[in-house]
Amino acid sequence: MASSWCWNCLSRLRPTPRALLPPSATPRISSAPFHSTAVHYAQPAKKKGNSLTVVKHRQSTSLRRKKKKVADRGGRPPAVGERKALRKRIVLSNPNALEIEGMLELSPETMVDSRLRGTVLGLPVPMIDQLRAVQAFKPKQGWSIFRRPGTVLRRDTIEMGRLFEQISGEGDDAQKGKVVKKIVTGMKGSGKTVHLLQAMAMGFLKKWAVVTIPDARDLVSGDTAYAAIEGSNPVQYVQPSATSALLTRTVDANRELLASLKVSQNHPALKMLKPSSTLEDLAKLGFSDPAVSWKVFQALWAELTATAPAAGLEKDFQPRPPMLVAVDGLAHWMVESAYRSADYKPIHAHDLAFVNHFLSLLKDGDSLKNGGLLLYATSSSNNPNPLALKIALDRLAARQAGISDSSPEYPQPEAYSKADPRVLDLLQAAEKAASPLELQTLSGLTRDEARGFMEYFARSGLLREIINDQWVSEKWSLSGGGIIGELEKLGRRVRATASASK
Amino acid sequence: MAWHKPTSLAQAMQSLRLTSTLTKPSSQASRTTLNTLRTRTYATEAESVPAAAAPEINFGAFSQKPARIIPSSPSYFSGSPRFIDHVLQLEALQAKHASLPTVATSEAPRMAWFKLAQFRDFVGEPVPMKKYKSLVKILQRLNRIQPDMVPVEVRDTLAAFLRPGNPYAVENVPRTVDENGRARGKGKRKESSAVVQLVEGEGEVLVNGKSLVEAFKRVHDRESALWALRCTQRLDKYNAWITVRGGGVTGQAEAITLALGRALLLHEPGLKPILRKAGAITVDARRVERKKPGHVKARKMPTWVKR
Repeated sequence: MASSWCWNCLSRLRPTPRALLPPSATPRISSAPFHSTAVHYAQPAKKKGNSLTVVKHRQSTSLRRKKKKVADRGGRPPAVGERKALRKRIVLSNPNALEIEGMLELSPETMVDSRLRGTVLGLPVPMIDQLRAVQAFKPKQGWSIFRRPGTVLRRDTIEMGRLFEQISGEGDDAQKGKVVKKIVTGMKGSGKTVHLLQAMAMGFLKKWAVVTIPDARDLVSGDTAYAAIEGSNPVQYVQPSATSALLTRTVDANRELLASLKVSQNHPALKMLKPSSTLEDLAKLGFSDPAVSWKVFQALWAELTATAPAAGLEKDFQPRPPMLVAVDGLAHWMVESAYRSADYKPIHAHDLAFVNHFLSLLKDGDSLKNGGLLLYATSSSNNPNPLALKIALDRLAARQAGISDSSPEYPQPEAYSKADPRVLDLLQAAEKAASPLELQTLSGLTRDEARGFMEYFARSGLLREIINDQWVSEKWSLSGGGIIGELEKLGRRVRATASASK
Repeated sequence: MAWHKPTSLAQAMQSLRLTSTLTKPSSQASRTTLNTLRTRTYATEAESVPAAAAPEINFGAFSQKPARIIPSSPSYFSGSPRFIDHVLQLEALQAKHASLPTVATSEAPRMAWFKLAQFRDFVGEPVPMKKYKSLVKILQRLNRIQPDMVPVEVRDTLAAFLRPGNPYAVENVPRTVDENGRARGKGKRKESSAVVQLVEGEGEVLVNGKSLVEAFKRVHDRESALWALRCTQRLDKYNAWITVRGGGVTGQAEAITLALGRALLLHEPGLKPILRKAGAITVDARRVERKKPGHVKARKMPTWVKR
């Protein structure tokens, strides 16, 4: 009940007129002249009753039933990380799927054989561990529905195979030491990531050094440790644990190669390194101690790109193999990262030394001294969609189409649009006519390739249809012109009755 | 209250005054004498004006008023005189020309008579449907007169009952494939409307400049969009360039079905029975049902509450 005393002036509040309010227990005092507030605002509380006629406002008036109790399933929730592990689990084999008779494997011979175009080639079994190590497989690519992992030999694959041959110095038009830089784009489901996987498989086949960033987002999402490099201006940041993880991946995948190569350069920053140690030992320094991992990575890179031994280390020098650098999800490196600087400003992804190292490879100059292939793929399902990258890629495409940068058709950022100048500058330098950087746009499979792919489904026992040209061209149209991810969806879709479609 | 009667003396005075005012303009001499005699007039008396003489009666143009006004139409006292007049006129015409040879109904020229609402406006009377039908029957009978023998009065009378801008006079130009080999079809479903340009090709489809996959995420929508081509097994024989606007994804897909079916008919009219059977050219004219007062949605009623 409201007090009838005013707490500011300790005078009595004026009582309410009798006629308006029900009689109260407070005595009526008529002398408190400077208050106009009534004592009682509230109606006296009603008696609680179970009368059905009480209308409940601001509540649902509909029928309420008892809530069902959620069945208790075993008590504890899954352990920390268990759900994520399940989500990220990669299953590469399905024992229920049929084994395909006479399935060819990817090999240096088959990967350039244009007669095999459209067939699905299995990945060699010993290589699968290497591919797993570089995280070439992604969870939702549908590997788990077949007996063994395999990829289609499409036109782009055969072209890439020929490129591998050239750079390795084999075949007819050998160009040993050539560097090819490509940005791979394409629609969602057009096979960009699997294209990278095929490149890695070919790299392993050709005994190249394979360095990969399976997901570019991991480096900028703010999940790994970072530290400023002292004395760098503008400030650069290293990511020791991410570097260490890269070293681990690289060593796991290229163990045989790295173990066969000896240190050939002087590394004053790494005192613990013996002159006779192999590159594997060098890399292992990094993943046991993240603090030195960045220096180890630089040393390893210097070793892999070395063309000649340093003075005094000529013994056991072997020529370094070409390198394959594959990055997936390039667009994440073209925006500000989730990291913050000391004054709490967002750090641009290009200021991360690790990212910058890989991006600088795109620039002019023979960044890979022993030749090799740079494949930087964009992603369309996980894409921050930076405006500047879009313009830069459009420019690249315009360049390839023969449009000069002075022509009015040359793509320009829209007026007042906030296209990131750093991104534009990065790819601007690469746009000169002599630059090896090219844009590769993956489109759909051709009808013949699509037929081979669908036959693979049928022979694996997944698809119970009669595969003829009619059926294939129907699926080809439905998949937006042979987009392989869509074809896969159509192939794995179980029909209730196979005869219903006729 | 009793009426105050003037006395006989006052009456006499009044009559004298009236006669004096009446006779006042009659002669100038008497007026002067009166003026001189009378020194003062009443303030309420009007200024004297000369009264106009009545015009002479012209016996030549004497309008004789009848005892009562007779309506021009004999059906004036019926509920709908103008309608009945029309019926009587038509019946008279029919009787007059009953002997003229007629042709079969199917060979008579097709005429768009007034619709009921238009006819009501035309006569300005609330004509019932049934009666109008009987009138139309007479019109049709007159229309069946052998065309080269139709009298002018019949033709003129029938023309008065035609809807303005005779719709049957407009010949529909059948659509064809244009000189570049494109067939254009339009289709609607729900709120979406689609335009399809269909050319012979290899089965490539662009929807609003995007690929089919980008336009329709669901496989089902893609299948229903291309259903007309699929059910006729023509998927790899045509290229389609599609513009679709409005509505949701399903509506857009089904609008494309219809438009594609119509465009395909221009290329291959023989496919019509197949397309009809497959439902690719059947229009689904359903729209969202309107919401009604007292209902939560079109049909849904508010939840029942005890009190």
